Amino acid sequence: MPVVHAAGSRPGRPDAADPVGEFFTALGRQRHIATFERESATLRFDIADGERVRRWLVIVDNGTVAVSHRNGRADAVVRMRRADAEAIVTGRINAQAAMLRGLIACQGSVGALTMFQRCLPGPPDSTGRVAPITSEQVMAERRPR
Amino acid sequence: MSDGLVQILEGNTFVVSDERGDIEASPTDSTGLFSFDTRFLSRWVLTVNGQRLNALSTDDLQYFQARFFLVPGTGTVYVDAKLSVIRLREVADGFHEEIRVLNHENAPVDLKIRIDAASDFADLFEVKDALAKKGQYQARAEGGSLVLAYRRETFGRQTWISSSEPATIDEKGLSFGITVPAHGEWMTELNVVAAGEAPADSTAGLAGPAGHGHRHRVRRDMARGLAKWIGRAPELRCDWEPLERIYRRCLTDLAALRFSTLTMPDRALPAAGLPWFMTIFGRDSIFTSLQTLPFCSELASTTLRALAERQGTRIDDFRDEDPGRIMHEVRYGELTAFEERPHSPYYGSADATPLFVVLLDEYELWTGDTRLVRDLEQAARAALNWIDEYADLQGNGYVAYQRRNATTGLENQCWKDSWESISYRNGDLPGFPRATCELQGYAYDAKVRAARLARVVWKDPVFAARLEEEAADLKRRFNRDFWVADGGYFAVALDADGRQVDSLASNVGHLLWSGIADKSKARSIAAHLLGPRLFSGWGVRTLAEGEARYNPIGYHVGAVWPFDNSFIAWGLRRYGFREEAACIADGILGAAEVFDGRLPEAFGGYARSVTRYPVRYPTACSPQAWSTGAPLLLLRVALGLEPSGDNLMVDPALPERFGRLELLDVPGRWKRVDALGRGRVDTSRLLRR
Repeated sequence: MPVVHAAGSRPGRPDAADPVGEFFTALGRQRHIATFERESATLRFDIADGERVRRWLVIVDNGTVAVSHRNGRADAVVRMRRADAEAIVTGRINAQAAMLRGLIACQGSVGALTMFQRCLPGPPDSTGRVAPITSEQVMAERRPR
Repeated sequence: MSDGLVQILEGNTFVVSDERGDIEASPTDSTGLFSFDTRFLSRWVLTVNGQRLNALSTDDLQYFQARFFLVPGTGTVYVDAKLSVIRLREVADGFHEEIRVLNHENAPVDLKIRIDAASDFADLFEVKDALAKKGQYQARAEGGSLVLAYRRETFGRQTWISSSEPATIDEKGLSFGITVPAHGEWMTELNVVAAGEAPADSTAGLAGPAGHGHRHRVRRDMARGLAKWIGRAPELRCDWEPLERIYRRCLTDLAALRFSTLTMPDRALPAAGLPWFMTIFGRDSIFTSLQTLPFCSELASTTLRALAERQGTRIDDFRDEDPGRIMHEVRYGELTAFEERPHSPYYGSADATPLFVVLLDEYELWTGDTRLVRDLEQAARAALNWIDEYADLQGNGYVAYQRRNATTGLENQCWKDSWESISYRNGDLPGFPRATCELQGYAYDAKVRAARLARVVWKDPVFAARLEEEAADLKRRFNRDFWVADGGYFAVALDADGRQVDSLASNVGHLLWSGIADKSKARSIAAHLLGPRLFSGWGVRTLAEGEARYNPIGYHVGAVWPFDNSFIAWGLRRYGFREEAACIADGILGAAEVFDGRLPEAFGGYARSVTRYPVRYPTACSPQAWSTGAPLLLLRVALGLEPSGDNLMVDPALPERFGRLELLDVPGRWKRVDALGRGRVDTSRLLRR
């Protein structure tokens, strides 16, 4: 499946202080994402920056991903403020929590947004590691009961 | 009904009230209207002329509907009432309540009817832990409705209350000044809607999670008549009449436990328990789906899709998330929204991931739905990768767990999740990471089953061969490292030093179910399962008598869990122990008869000869999904139902007292097949214990 970008609307080089632009550009560059195999959905992200709204259209088609600024019909239209979007694409806020909190508004398919969340990064300070705990430590914690 | 409380529900919206229909919750009290893990009403009190009412009778008509017959006055001396009030309540995105006032006098009567309403908008976790709120409250009359609102930053939740009859609305409720004619009646409908709120700077108009339910509500009701649900399931006939009642109770309770996610509003999966666990739990939803596959495979397919949608893809220490990991629990309340709790979703479970693969294969064996298996190929591969890459915390090739979220994460990430559930013989608790034995069984089974799917559906024989090799290696190592030679059973776990946690627990039964136990060791395991230390006469205890922490009314250290027993019985059948499996089926179904068809989560591990009746373990949740599923799996096991290609094999080994048993129209890839059997197994010797 070829990657489709609308003519003339391919995202340009993001400037350094634009994590949202960097995220979407990197996403489009990946082109194929395993967790999106056999998934198809179009999402439009409207990111409000003061009066200005920056638009990103993400087309997922059986694992291939195309990203542009095009306008178009989308299964889910997702609106949020730039500051919140930056926190989400850098893993500082969890997207599901943001939605429950009212930071993200989703019109249309919640399923499409749930799927999309699978390509978001985890918190920057998460290491996946934890120091082992000995039996003695566990017992000491329980003893004063 | 229990403890004088009446609870009705639909999906994750439920109302718990007293027997008058009133709600007067305190911060820690659990009555109220709840939806999406938030309390939307904490006060709902009906008065007539300022007087509270008395309940004459209360009926839970259906799981989503209740009726209250009331009379004025609170005196203890019975006086003929000149007035009666009937409240009929039905859950629907909040609830709908019909209030009917009947005048029994021969003259008209003027009355003031009043409903007091308020909400504390507590998160379920706040109700459990008595935490204080951080946001602001507001109450206002708006367009004929009383609106109760709560806001914390951009998080908003609202309760809208309106009536069909004109009412005087103030911030604390609705009043009706009415005249009821002689021998006449007056009626109003009250509508209570639980709603989210769009963020102030958004034009999206999203009504929040609760709003979604509203849109799909009507459709769902139509598609899910209770009668239709029961009608689709196989028909059961049995000479032992209680079994027919148990079966019907299970199907009705399963209907109540159905839960739809926001992403799949028209499909149902089994939530974990009613009412506090009406949400997706990876482990509970998978086990219940496995138990119910021969009866309603839709629950399994929805569970698989819902869990794949939320499969972990990143490292997140707060949520104990890893790539490929299957989630443990999802919640929608305020504490989750502000990341004060990790349930968005939380991933701290070590068994859900291999069990996800096990369910996918079992589902295909029954239904032949290869499309779902193809759709979920990447999810299954990611799950298998999690087992090898992320779960080997001890570096010895075994699945182990240790939480990274040390404050709100789960310490024990296996089904026995209480603090003392895993112990050495002397009662000491092992350190972390812990590799419990049943996790190795599930991982083994996941690899064996995935190999079949890889060969048959994914057409990847290289992957299949690799999985089979890994499974064989795991089995070899496991039978060497976990075998407690002086006891003749498998250790419940390996500790962080690779040392055996050497107590005898019901976990060994799951090793038979998964097939990881060497044939030569199985007889000894079966003998323990039905032996005096583990078998109570009703079922297998979670921990054997004689272990230091054994306690017949200890949650995971002696109590008998029907769900646990149903998988143990399946395991016994798998290794050819037909009579032993029949004994467990007989014991647990016998207990179900005593509990009126509805098995509790757990009951006491006292010997049957001591208490005569099984003693219920007190828990807040009933019915619970995997207890509800237990009789269904036991039926499957006793009838010896096994899919074999496009045929269903039937090989009954039924307890004698069942007499003739017929399960008609069992659905599957064979369309519909009848399974018949006659009770021939004498279970009396073991059940006498």
